[in-house]
Amino acid sequence: MSDLLRILVSPAAWLACFSAIYGLSGIVCAAGPGAAVADGSGPRMVLVIAFLLAVLLQVGLLALVWSARFGAEPGLVRVVSRISAVTGLVATVWTLFPVLAASACL
Amino acid sequence: MTALARHRRLSAAWASGPGWKGWFSTVNHSDVGRMFLVTAFFYFLVGGILAMLIRAQLATPHSAFAGPGIYSQIFTMHGTIMMFLFAIPAIEGMAIYLLPKMLGTRDLAYPRLTAYGYWCYFFGGAMLLVSLLFGIAPDGGWFMYPPLTGRIHSPGINTDFWLIGITFVEISAICAAVEFTVSILKYRAPGMSLARMPIFAWYMLVVSLMILTGFPPLILGSILLELERAFGMPFFQVELGGDSLLWQHLFWLFGHPEVYIIFLPAAGVVSTVLPVMASTTLIGYRWVVAAAVALAILSFGLWVHHMFTTGIPHMGLAFFSAASTLVAVPTAVQVFAWIGTMWKGTPRLHLPMLHILGFFVTFVIGGLTGVMVAVVPFDWQVHDTAFVTAHLHYVLFGGFVFPILAGIYYWLPLASGRRRFFRLGNVAFALIFIGFHVTFLAMHWVGLMGQRRRISTYAPEDGWTAINLISSVGGFVLAFGLVIVLIEIVLHLVVPRRSRRNPWGAGTLEWAVPMPPPAYNFASLPRVTSREPLADDPDLGVRLARGEGYLGDARGGLRETLMVDIATGEPEQHVVYPANTRLPLVMAAVTGVFFLSLLLKLYWLTPLALAGVAVLGWRWVWQLGSDTDLGCQPVGHGLALASASETDRPPGWWGSAFLLVANATLFGSLLFGYAFLWTVAPGWPPAAFMEPSLLVLVAAPAGAALAVAGIALAVRRNRIGGDPTAALLAALAGALCLAGAFALLLAGAPHPTGHAYGATLWVLGCYGLVHALLVALMLAFLLARQRAGYVSRSRRAELAIVPVWTGYLAVVTALILAAVYLPGFAA
Ligand code: HEM
Repeated sequence: MSDLLRILVSPAAWLACFSAIYGLSGIVCAAGPGAAVADGSGPRMVLVIAFLLAVLLQVGLLALVWSARFGAEPGLVRVVSRISAVTGLVATVWTLFPVLAASACL
Repeated sequence: MTALARHRRLSAAWASGPGWKGWFSTVNHSDVGRMFLVTAFFYFLVGGILAMLIRAQLATPHSAFAGPGIYSQIFTMHGTIMMFLFAIPAIEGMAIYLLPKMLGTRDLAYPRLTAYGYWCYFFGGAMLLVSLLFGIAPDGGWFMYPPLTGRIHSPGINTDFWLIGITFVEISAICAAVEFTVSILKYRAPGMSLARMPIFAWYMLVVSLMILTGFPPLILGSILLELERAFGMPFFQVELGGDSLLWQHLFWLFGHPEVYIIFLPAAGVVSTVLPVMASTTLIGYRWVVAAAVALAILSFGLWVHHMFTTGIPHMGLAFFSAASTLVAVPTAVQVFAWIGTMWKGTPRLHLPMLHILGFFVTFVIGGLTGVMVAVVPFDWQVHDTAFVTAHLHYVLFGGFVFPILAGIYYWLPLASGRRRFFRLGNVAFALIFIGFHVTFLAMHWVGLMGQRRRISTYAPEDGWTAINLISSVGGFVLAFGLVIVLIEIVLHLVVPRRSRRNPWGAGTLEWAVPMPPPAYNFASLPRVTSREPLADDPDLGVRLARGEGYLGDARGGLRETLMVDIATGEPEQHVVYPANTRLPLVMAAVTGVFFLSLLLKLYWLTPLALAGVAVLGWRWVWQLGSDTDLGCQPVGHGLALASASETDRPPGWWGSAFLLVANATLFGSLLFGYAFLWTVAPGWPPAAFMEPSLLVLVAAPAGAALAVAGIALAVRRNRIGGDPTAALLAALAGALCLAGAFALLLAGAPHPTGHAYGATLWVLGCYGLVHALLVALMLAFLLARQRAGYVSRSRRAELAIVPVWTGYLAVVTALILAAVYLPGFAA
């Protein structure tokens, strides 16, 4: 089971963060129109911080999966878990990048 | 023992009953897999006939062939049948048939569950078919959006057939997913580590996990919509605090992964068949595994791209647009691996290969139009036009039907022991390929010109007449090709021309079983040292038939197999399967009575049916285990293993763990729905919050704690040789107390029809109540088993399973209490 976990953890964390930040954008917009444009307003900063935290989490997971202590033995699981960890990080940056650029509540 | 004597002994133990009556009691995976496949292809035929009716209607403008009402039923049933009654069951059937053979074992983890899943599919499908025959079929489109499908706009029984029938059918998908996950992880040939697993098994593992997490949102959505229709609980009614967009979220949380649930097994077939056709091995095996995992998880983050036109804010659109473009990457990794494999090898243009080439061309085009509709402004233009229908057929037909046909032609000699006699298949392929592209290229075109999907007619001045006619002619050419495939398969089965063993020269284990495969698959289980055991040792099949592997002495007429360690594949436990029984059929029939009682609103019957299911479930589990200690069992090669009932991680533990993954997803979706309504739907917060009840707030945590502590104590007492009865009784009292607390909670909840808030609390309370009663039933069962002598210090497996459920109950209790009372406290 731990091998399965190593393989799934990073992309699953992406999915959780992605859904959570999407939900957060809904809550931010429900709270008020402050985040309507890409400025430095409070609600916008909430989203940006959440984005940065998500990226940080992925970097942490990548380091764990790569580490000798928590990473898998050499072989298939090690390779696949490392590719998955990179996928998680790339997916987080790519899919959540709009919090920096897009207008939130329009 | 000679190979023949061994074959006779094993056949006596494993064979299903004689004649057609044997179908009703068989639990053998080869039988049930075939039954799944035949039924699924029957539905392909029905769905295909409906497709022809659609194309007949659209062939000419102002067609008088079918009115809009009937047309709505036709396209809804076409989509529904193809997705739920053909594609998913065909995958299940293929995997049920092939997986144990590929994994070098004798059956799937839970043979009776395989049969139960089939019968649920059979009865649920029959319900939908009956509605079609009587002209009362669902007519709200295959994704059944409310408010159209709400009680006001669809007052008849049509929609109920869909909601109830499809939920019934989905039981079979969940059963199969649990079955596949546990089988792939735990039921493999000795020595088959994760790295030596056939690529198809990796794909099916990923897909099974997807089914476990993808199907529950739809099951929940269907339950909620049916509750709204039957009892007026307004989950999707905006004037009472509901929101029809909630349905879209729940549906597409399922619906988008569903597309990959259909595609990935087909990709597994391609990754298996293509290297054999190219006389080489798959390039980038590890990358392909990683791509399948990535694709699976990314696919869960795409659901909103089906909702781009619902007025979602820009940022949300950008998230899902970006995610939608990203899935192209792992898909491309697989495509490049396949191209590389062809490059490395020497492709032979046998029939399976032709279908794989058909898949390539079609699927890549479908993928490209997919990237087009992932771009939001483009999607706004083509949404709900024939362009989208054309795109979805390119990915579904291209990504599923071509690979499945490749798989059928590839594994047909294995299943029948015969080789093809008439060479009709090549003609059929040409007709299918040409017919498909004529039909659907044309549909892209009219879609871009503005023709809407799901509309039964158009005017001559729209300028779509010629293109539609061409598309319809293409459709009939395609159908003709598919009929020829059918004819060829029938001819194949009636013309006895024996095939030689392993005719394609494949390396995977399914080709080491005799052709056609006997009920027990392998006379003895192989030890695997590489990914392609048969390529290393072409005589492996003969050696296994001679009993040179594990479990080769066919002891005592038992259906024996091995469970292994997940990572290394080293043998861990000795398992004895249950024999043929009609129990799955009867259980599915009684489950069907439950669903029918809801459909026909015979609510007095519902509790009786539920009680029937509980009684049969009790009997089901009672038949397992043993009332004497068995000790370690010799399995061959000097190895002796613990019997599964004498371990802490028996098959039932694994099944429970993965079933709870699905269950937790359903519960999580319910909480998501609650949060969604709270933040997005108009009319929230509700006028008044539920009053906190001190009794519930004390009784529920106390009951949950008692249940958890009681079962933990029972396990501990049993381990040291003590009597666990008192601890079990305490746990039972805890579970019953918890059930009482949930009943009280329900009694104090606001009326469920007044506002979506009350309706949601009601569903949360019922969820808790049902689970508390279920755990109470399990604890009562344990007590009865203990008294009947089935539990001992070494026979501890049953005691190990219940804590998983009790722990889950405690966690959901805490979450339900928080969800119900916290908002009131906060306000
Ligand atoms: C056998 C060849 C097939 C033909 C000629 C065909 C034709 C069509 C046509 C013309 C429509 C559009 C109806 C409309 O919007 O007015 C349609 C819808 C659809 N088809 Fe097919 N189809 C075929 C096979 C399949 C397969 C294999 C699948 C899935 C595995 C499938 C799934 C669907 C779905 C999901 C819809 C949408 C239904 C809805 O709008 O509710 N089709 N098909």
